Amino acid sequence: MLPASVTDRLQDTSDDVMLLQVAQGNERAMELCITKYGPLVWSIAKRHVQDHSSIEDVVQETFTDLWKSAKRYNPDIATTSTFVGLLARRRAIDYARKESRRPKLEPLPETESFLEPALESSAALRCQNEDVRSALKELPEETQHIFSLHFDKGMTHPEIVEQTGLPLGTVKTRLRRGLIDLRNTLRRLDSGQASIPAT
Amino acid sequence: MNDQEILDRFEELEAGRILGDLDSNEIKEWEKFSADPRCKSDLSLELAAAALESKYLGNEETGLSKDLLGKLQEGMAGFVVPEEPQESEDNVIRPANWQTILAAPKTGWAIAALFALLLIAQSFIDKGPQEPKGLTTAKVETPSAKESRDTLISRASDLVESDFGGLESYEEMSGTVVWSDELQEGYMSLTNLPANNPGSNQYQLWIVDPTRDEKPVDGGVFNIPSGDGTTIIPIRNPLVITDPKAFVITLEQPGGVVVSKQEIVVALAKAS
Repeated sequence: MLPASVTDRLQDTSDDVMLLQVAQGNERAMELCITKYGPLVWSIAKRHVQDHSSIEDVVQETFTDLWKSAKRYNPDIATTSTFVGLLARRRAIDYARKESRRPKLEPLPETESFLEPALESSAALRCQNEDVRSALKELPEETQHIFSLHFDKGMTHPEIVEQTGLPLGTVKTRLRRGLIDLRNTLRRLDSGQASIPAT
Repeated sequence: MNDQEILDRFEELEAGRILGDLDSNEIKEWEKFSADPRCKSDLSLELAAAALESKYLGNEETGLSKDLLGKLQEGMAGFVVPEEPQESEDNVIRPANWQTILAAPKTGWAIAALFALLLIAQSFIDKGPQEPKGLTTAKVETPSAKESRDTLISRASDLVESDFGGLESYEEMSGTVVWSDELQEGYMSLTNLPANNPGSNQYQLWIVDPTRDEKPVDGGVFNIPSGDGTTIIPIRNPLVITDPKAFVITLEQPGGVVVSKQEIVVALAKAS
């Protein structure tokens, strides 16, 4: 049995190939993509959007983004699941803003343009799930708990405040600082992995 | 603020923007900093957030409704590029349309497929392995395919060789499969498998490798031309196969399927 890190890598390499085939308009690869990532996109949409029909809209628009942008996907920058997650998250947050009638901080860039920065190697964050697990463990326990409440349980900041008794400012700071620290750790792990020849 | 303090503050605001928790004053502050050429953001924080959500939410048991799946199928239709029909390379039938990966292992399909395969395998074991019947001189194989197969047999130190047994109405067929984990190369040699009409249906190979996934790996679709003889089909696995337990041939719709209902299971070769 191959170690999980190796099988993760092999699996993701295959996913990269799948996206290349999607970019070529391969129908079966697209179907496979829906089968594999449909549940993830749905879960992300559901996390950010309440209305059922809006969730469906987010899922459809995310996959339309994916069909359009697969040719621009750079496997050196992010794994397929992170890439798909990013597309879904963007669409879902945009919908959530519309639902709440909150003013947009900035217009959602078109997929083609927002992928441009990803072409810069400085943005590379090709992490596997195992890396994310490792990086999470390096965060302070309190931050890990807040992350779990926010990203896993889907709690809003006020809900986390109620659950933990921490001040709102502390929750915000822990989340922001935690995200930055997690990104830094993932970068470190990513650069470390780069020296390991892919098997 | 010095440059480093500005960059640190901008990064914190950027994290807040991605987390969606900036208040109105922070939004103004973010807008001011983002116009500063020293403050250059990249996608890394957003990728980290996406990786986190994918990690936490990727294992949720969620099924898309048939209605939504239908809409997604409609939506992708505009992006599909029709495949050009493949030219036959002499009479060697090569697998086409290899799938790249298998779908998530948590679907009911995987459980049902594995269960069905185990039943088939048990049935086959009960009957005992069948000797290849009438492995005659290949009329449809090309020297290159045969040579490649022979080369593999001579080179591979870990060669796995199994006999195909035809099931139900395909009992007359026979064949062998040779496979090397080390070289990631293999060939099927199939005899007396009825010719198919590619416009109506095509054969599809599945590789059962429990070490890589619960779900069988799609080995691609292939055709059998009319006429007696043996057809040699190279296995072009899109995934690394580490421990194949069985090779299964099904008959599917033209172009093959992503997930097989296994309505027509043609043959099975169980690796010893």
